[in-house]
Amino acid sequence: MFESLKMGDKGKIIDISRVGKLVQRRLLDLGITEGSEVCVKCVMPFGGPVMIESCGQCVGIRRKEAVQIEVVRL
Amino acid sequence: MEIALIGNPNTGKTSLFNNLTGSYAYVGNWSGVTVEKKVGVFKNNIGQLIDLPGVYTLNPLSKDEGVVTSYFLNEAVDRLLNILDASQLERNLHLTLQLLEFEKPALIGLNMIDVANKRGIQIDASKLSKILGVPVVPVVARNGKGCDKLVDVIATKSIQPANKNLVCYGQAVESAIAAITGEMTAKTNHSTRFLAIQYIEGNEYVRNYVNHIADQQKLTSILEELESQLLNQYDTKSLANFIYTKRKEVIEKIVAEVARKGDATIPLSEKIDSIVTNRYLGLPIFLLLMYFMFMLTFDWLGTPLSDALDGLLTGPVTSGIESALGAIHASAFIHALILEGLVAGVGGVLVFVPQIFILFFFISLLEDSGYMARVALVMDRIMESVGLNGKAFIPMIIGFGCNVPGIMAARTIETPRERLLTVLLTPLMSCSARLPVYALFVGAFFAGHKAFIVLSLYVLGIVMVLILAKIFSSTVLKSETSLFVIELPPYRLPQFQSLWRSTWDKGKGFVRKAGTFIFAGSVIIWLLSYAGPGGLEVDMDDSFLAAIGNVIAPIFAPIGFGTWQAAASLITGFLAKEAIISTMNIIYFVPNDASLQALLADFYTPLSAYSFMVFILLYIPCLATVATIYKETNSKKWTAFSMIYAFVIAYVLALIIYQGGRLIGLV
Ligand SMILES: Nc1nc2c(ncn2[C@@H]2O[C@H](COP(=O)(O)OP(=O)(O)OP(=O)(O)O)[C@@H](O)[C@H]2O)c(=O)[nH]1
Ligand SMILES: [Mg+2]
Repeated sequence: MFESLKMGDKGKIIDISRVGKLVQRRLLDLGITEGSEVCVKCVMPFGGPVMIESCGQCVGIRRKEAVQIEVVRL
Repeated sequence: MEIALIGNPNTGKTSLFNNLTGSYAYVGNWSGVTVEKKVGVFKNNIGQLIDLPGVYTLNPLSKDEGVVTSYFLNEAVDRLLNILDASQLERNLHLTLQLLEFEKPALIGLNMIDVANKRGIQIDASKLSKILGVPVVPVVARNGKGCDKLVDVIATKSIQPANKNLVCYGQAVESAIAAITGEMTAKTNHSTRFLAIQYIEGNEYVRNYVNHIADQQKLTSILEELESQLLNQYDTKSLANFIYTKRKEVIEKIVAEVARKGDATIPLSEKIDSIVTNRYLGLPIFLLLMYFMFMLTFDWLGTPLSDALDGLLTGPVTSGIESALGAIHASAFIHALILEGLVAGVGGVLVFVPQIFILFFFISLLEDSGYMARVALVMDRIMESVGLNGKAFIPMIIGFGCNVPGIMAARTIETPRERLLTVLLTPLMSCSARLPVYALFVGAFFAGHKAFIVLSLYVLGIVMVLILAKIFSSTVLKSETSLFVIELPPYRLPQFQSLWRSTWDKGKGFVRKAGTFIFAGSVIIWLLSYAGPGGLEVDMDDSFLAAIGNVIAPIFAPIGFGTWQAAASLITGFLAKEAIISTMNIIYFVPNDASLQALLADFYTPLSAYSFMVFILLYIPCLATVATIYKETNSKKWTAFSMIYAFVIAYVLALIIYQGGRLIGLV
């Protein structure tokens, strides 16, 4: 679960299928999918979005989507 | 020859376009700056270059991406110029592989070489060219390095792709491709392999196109068969995913061969990010920046400059024109037309050029630095709570400059509902054309707190957007879907030259409008104020203008400004918001030294002045904005709605402020 990650932690995505279809598609466009290594850069307060980094590129997604992504800590 | 620029968002396509055509199109450091196709002519006249919105794949999600796919399907393109971001090669190559399947002559501009080098990435362009079978030219679009070489290659080489079928999609998919292409032979000019692959991937635009030219039922059955076969055989979620993985395998091989990764320096970007998108500091920093911008525009720098310009216009320029008119013995009519009509009307608007340019400079700074996408991220939580998403904040900030490009920028919002909502609400953002009104009135009534009063109006606009978004999204525009994924580009130190160009490009429109639209409008308004039912040279209160204003003036009495003068300027303000100021300058014409600001005190109280400003902020969007809303929504109903709701809200709010203010004893 993404929740287990804190700022600065690195992880590897193992399952992304529970995320909304459109969001999944956009993340895929950005090269973020199963097998991608991600790093949590920043978490906005009050349940706001999170900023994750993958392959040198930062992407912002909503918290409720992020928690649906299954990751293992690296 | 027609050459199309295609590439991922924010890879520098428009920068290159500007460089190669010598034009200036909109550049900014976030994804989705260009939302429309734009045509330019090469400097050396070898053909036309077409700038397109950035896309990740040819299978579109949002409207700006759809522009590219329909361009591919419906227009004849001679050559493709694919721009790659060298620092993000893997992601960029997904699009390249699709483009090569299109089998048109193509070449590649490998852009952002400087950024890649800084990150320790070295790319062997000639090897890449050999593998892909098309020329690859390294460039730096920002400073024009390598552009000459690129033009040479475009103009001379025959660039039909040499290597066909770079990606083999496996036996099952390939036989389905063969079956689908079989259905389409001799029915289209496009590459049938390209169409077949996109069809399988689920590209809606291509599916529509293919269903028109081929037997829909047969195709569907081929697709269903393939789907069941693949899902049984492999561990894959969907056809699109399967195809993606196949491409990815090929790309990984290519990148392994052409790219070398060395030591990278820690990008400045990350350090800045840890501050501006800090958990708690993010929002305060944004507000502080806005405050700084307003102080500079309205207080510290803008106002003194505007005052100096005003002094110049009402002093030396006016007396110069006066003596010139005297020298050529102009008639009294011409004399009055020029001095009381044109100089007052056009000059009254031009005076605000310094303030407008300062505002545009800040907006350009926001756009070019990479902060824009961060603001969207910081604002998303608030926007989400009212049924929008953070991305909607980008059109709104652009709307501070001018609502028209703001509304266009909403095209990058993926879900139709959120996009429509953004289009409807962006006009509430106080555009630069409304700024002269505020500047005039705060100067006259709130001299001590200029920036604060103006800031309160801008904030009021934003607050109204939030409230109305909440209301609309829980009544007329109900839907659950909301999508927020935003790419955060690395910060780029803006170059002074590009900043100036983009400031000038925005400000130019304001100056040009003053010279054309406002010029003509001033003549007409002056004539209407000069002539009346009783003949020419009537007292202004008996003029046609007064007669027109008087018809609707009573409506505005309850909100504090039921004069024909206010009514007349509000009518002209619908045509262009700057016209409010030129109309007032003509109506309240004051010879030389006495100022309009002093005269206004006879007609407004501070309370009614504030009520007037609030009304100007919110009432009906200007004509150009209304036309854009119609173009973007394609609906008369929503266009009418945008005008009506704005008027109602403006009236209600002004009423509350004016009557409420009087109740608690304000004047
Ligand atoms: N360092 C560097 N920056 C560049 C280069 N080319 C473009 N940029 C910057 O990259 C940003 C994006 O440039 P644009 O030309 O707007 O990109 P685009 O591909 O048209 O973007 P969209 O229209 O959103 O698809 C701008 O801030 C440019 O100044 C380059 O070669 N090097
Ligand atoms: Mg562009």
